[in-house]
Amino acid sequence: MSRGAFLYGLWCLAIVGLFLGASVYGYSPFANGGRSAIRSGVYGPSHK
Amino acid sequence: MEEPPREAGAPAAAIKALVCPSCGGTIELRAAGYTVTFACVHCSSLLDVSNPDVRLIQRYEKKKRELEIPLGTRGTLKGVDWEAIGYLRRSENGTYPWEEYLLFNPYHGYRWLVTDGRGWTLGTMLTTTPRIEMGEMVVAAERYAPFFRHGSAQVDYVLGEFYWRVAAGEYVETADYVRPGWMLSFEGNETERNWTLGELLDPAEMVAAFCVQPPPEWYPGGPPPLAHQPSPFARTARVALKLALAGFAALFLIFLMFGGTNRRQSFEFAVDTASGASSATVGPVVFDRPYQAVTIRARAPMLENAWIDLDYALVNRKTQESFEAYAAAERYSGNDGGESWTEGDRGATTKLAMVPRGTYDLVVDANGQKWNFDGSGVVALTITVAQGASFWSNFFVALLLLLLPAVFLIRRHLRFEAARRAEGDD
Repeated sequence: MSRGAFLYGLWCLAIVGLFLGASVYGYSPFANGGRSAIRSGVYGPSHK
Repeated sequence: MEEPPREAGAPAAAIKALVCPSCGGTIELRAAGYTVTFACVHCSSLLDVSNPDVRLIQRYEKKKRELEIPLGTRGTLKGVDWEAIGYLRRSENGTYPWEEYLLFNPYHGYRWLVTDGRGWTLGTMLTTTPRIEMGEMVVAAERYAPFFRHGSAQVDYVLGEFYWRVAAGEYVETADYVRPGWMLSFEGNETERNWTLGELLDPAEMVAAFCVQPPPEWYPGGPPPLAHQPSPFARTARVALKLALAGFAALFLIFLMFGGTNRRQSFEFAVDTASGASSATVGPVVFDRPYQAVTIRARAPMLENAWIDLDYALVNRKTQESFEAYAAAERYSGNDGGESWTEGDRGATTKLAMVPRGTYDLVVDANGQKWNFDGSGVVALTITVAQGASFWSNFFVALLLLLLPAVFLIRRHLRFEAARRAEGDD
């Protein structure tokens, strides 16, 4: 296996592992609120 | 290059010393008995050495060309010792020049070592004509796709000894067929047709055998790869594709296993969109995992030309920690120039991330507003609280991060192949 393929394999493992962790703990920076949501500090109507 | 040890039973070295009738220089025939033509290494004059009396075919007084592999050099390729005895510089009508070294071994005969600076190919003359099957050539059950269908080759410069009457200006029609690492070449004219099977050599083997400079590695925008050069990125691209597919499957499986909601609880209350704000506290809602996402769905099926601003506060009964979020349910409709239209969504889904384990109350502040002021504004609002959520954004970001390097690795291989194919006739 080439070095590029090996490093990419590690990268895949890291991404899948992080996604698994986020799924188990309900983590998402894209949530509307909660501990990990980026938008939790942005609050209020966004409609006309 | 060291002289290889003489093998038991090997024929005696057939070296014969001669004097060039043109320049008077001493020359050595390395394949005496086989060699027909000799291009003097001192003055490049062509000599007929097939008879004991060396005859001058054509007189030249050219300066001796510096060769990357000096004639007389010995090296081992594919486990066989070869000696470079002849050199041809050829081109296609003066363009696309390349070099061919004639190698000789008394047991194995002749081979060609061909290069144009991008790699070295070891060529063996075939004694049979390849078969044609569906537009491809077949040799020893291997198929060779056409690459250069119609070409030509002329001899521009000759040095050393050859087993046929070679001369500068000699011209043949050519065609080349390839498979990864191999090239099948045709050369022919009115009198003869030859097929040569060439194997692309590992640069390290050529460096070890003849101390030549290794060819430069291919890079995008650089000189095109050889017609039969296998992509150095193919294997990595194949592995990357498999890893990407496996990673995608793993992400999707995890998404299915941990996405979605459970422990749903629904609460109903009325909101007057004509009179403004109303508030309600619903609960208790129990979350049993250490951390979980929470989904709050609001739905007002009778909402029409009105909107409800929803302020949520999910409050932990024990710690009083509060998680706040905002949502809006809105629905507008009308008739414009005879065409009816609708806009907005009577429902709103809100997701909270990483809510700790505990018993919670959900405080809902609903602020209803009507767009027009006719009729009653009271609508039923259903709030559903559930443990868990499906974060598609997480999934797509993870998928993007997973695929980006694979796209780069595969694209590198495709660019190499595109550059290689661009040189061909098809």
